[in-house]
Amino acid sequence: MTDRAERIATGGLADRMLRLVTMRHSVAVVGLAVLCALALMTPGFTSIPSLYALINTASFVGCIAVGMTFITLSGNVMSFALGAASGLAAITCAWLSKFGLAAALLGAILVPTAINALQGFVIGFFKANSLIVTIAALALINGAAEMVTAGQTIYVEGDILDPYKGKLLGVPLAGIAFLICVIVGQLVLRYTQFGQRVVLVGSNSRAATAAGVEVWRTTTWVYTLAGLFSGISGVLMAARYGAGTIEMGAGFDYTAIAGVLLGGTAVAGGQGSVTRSLVGVTVMAVITVVLLLRDFETQYQYLLTGLIVFAAILAQGRFRS
Amino acid sequence: MKRAFRLLSSGMTRAVWLLVLMVVCSFVFDRLGLGHFGKDTAFSVLQYFATFGPIALGLGLTILVREFDIAIAGMFGLGGCIAVLVGRLDPLLGLAAAIAVGICGGALQGYAMVRLRLSSVAVSLGGLLTFGGFAYVLTGNRTVSFGRMDIALLVNTPILEIFSLRSLIAVLLVAIAAFFVSCTRIGRDMIAVGGDRQAATTAGVKTEAILIGTFATCSMLCALSGALLSFSLSAASPAGLSDISVPAVAAVILGGASFSGGTGRPLGTAAGVMILGLLRTGLTTLGVPPYVHDLVTGGVLLSVAIADGNDFARRLYDLIARREASMSSTR
Repeated sequence: MTDRAERIATGGLADRMLRLVTMRHSVAVVGLAVLCALALMTPGFTSIPSLYALINTASFVGCIAVGMTFITLSGNVMSFALGAASGLAAITCAWLSKFGLAAALLGAILVPTAINALQGFVIGFFKANSLIVTIAALALINGAAEMVTAGQTIYVEGDILDPYKGKLLGVPLAGIAFLICVIVGQLVLRYTQFGQRVVLVGSNSRAATAAGVEVWRTTTWVYTLAGLFSGISGVLMAARYGAGTIEMGAGFDYTAIAGVLLGGTAVAGGQGSVTRSLVGVTVMAVITVVLLLRDFETQYQYLLTGLIVFAAILAQGRFRS
Repeated sequence: MKRAFRLLSSGMTRAVWLLVLMVVCSFVFDRLGLGHFGKDTAFSVLQYFATFGPIALGLGLTILVREFDIAIAGMFGLGGCIAVLVGRLDPLLGLAAAIAVGICGGALQGYAMVRLRLSSVAVSLGGLLTFGGFAYVLTGNRTVSFGRMDIALLVNTPILEIFSLRSLIAVLLVAIAAFFVSCTRIGRDMIAVGGDRQAATTAGVKTEAILIGTFATCSMLCALSGALLSFSLSAASPAGLSDISVPAVAAVILGGASFSGGTGRPLGTAAGVMILGLLRTGLTTLGVPPYVHDLVTGGVLLSVAIADGNDFARRLYDLIARREASMSSTR
């Protein structure tokens, strides 16, 4: 063992600092520094409207990313149907708004939660391929939404959702809701038996079965939880735009998984956390806003998202082997 | 005789019989006057086959070696965009460029998988978004028109009443792939890699080369299909995911492939595509609104995904056993 490696292994405060600055972290730190510099040098980035836009963008995708983190951690890579689920939640929220706030909120949370619970059950109980099931769910949700809304935008009646697009101490409520989602998600993951099971199932599902975990139950709950967080994202969007269409959540799955992987959650599952996804999603949102302010159109954002996901996955393979 | 029997009892039997059943049903419908199914139906089913046949074929090959390429939709879109943008100079050059990008993209994915020991799902997820991103940037997030109606006519004009140049190419590709998988050493090696990779490596199969080659082939087929479709529409746009992936995956699994690997042959996949094509054409003939297509193909995909689940047989068996037990206890 080399001298440095020995010091890292044995501990002590200074050595721990050294341990922090391993290869992987230095890449992350340099990347973040470059991004911060770029953001601060971008004219208009620190203006209030652009910061609000940043927080809103990060929040809508962020809630979905919290759910996605659980799916990735449980070894199911990603879901293609969370964005559609949040769009469906926004539609439900807008449509039920004529029956009052409680009905709108309850319906908007319950519908995507139930749909995702069903997907989770199918994936867990029959051990069906998770990606295929969610792609099928995406087609079914899109078809059903088209059938129900006939392609129309559903508008929220009255102003009952208006309080949810307000601000608390100068911070948009969407951002606060997102932070609460992150905190709740992280607590569930770290301090509940369910959270430990998710990590166990994700790192080695056969070992989990041998240890007496009923894997299909855990999988069902993982997707149910993801549906719940998508529902929250849908409510936030319905409040922000005063309307709901299925288009709203389109593409969120990709930004969310980009955030999750960029945060460093292992694509193979079993390793990662919700707070990592918070960092990843924030970085993605900063990149989006910087690109917009620097007059790059949406397509560059798509390409960059792709390259980031690709690089993050390749980097994981590199650091592992 | 024995050989023919073995061929029929393989994984694709299901698909072939289902296809025969559907064709018979269509004829009965036609005779009863419930709908119209004639040569033009066959033509439109084959046009559907021309688009989805090569994609499903490529995907089927990756599933045969027990991997999974989600990037098919991305490469399909990118292939179409490149073919149109380069094809403005010379259509053949456009086609060649699309095919070259397909081969390179697929080989790159395969190389990353093999070198970094990453799962194909992870790598091709990156591929899906990256290829799609390139397609968006190249087209400027717009539909780009090709403006060569002569090319569109050339690839779409009916040949022998039911075929077109595009569908003949697809049929030819399936035939070539079927020959390679069934009759050559490469095909045998692919089946071995899909069935038991460890054993295949021990037996001297060049597993890594097979994997890289399979992914290059798959991406190439997707790019080619995208290019030909763009030529026939005389336009290209960065395409949506579910539009391509849902029918392609459904066709492959319908055709007898399984995510457990080693099963599924090109002919079965082709039958799967034809089933979906016939279903779609039938629905269109009946005049249903467009969202029904989404619901039907989504439903088909969900059903086949469940039926392909590793635990499906066990759960079904448990259910039947439990029911029998409860019946005998009440007696």
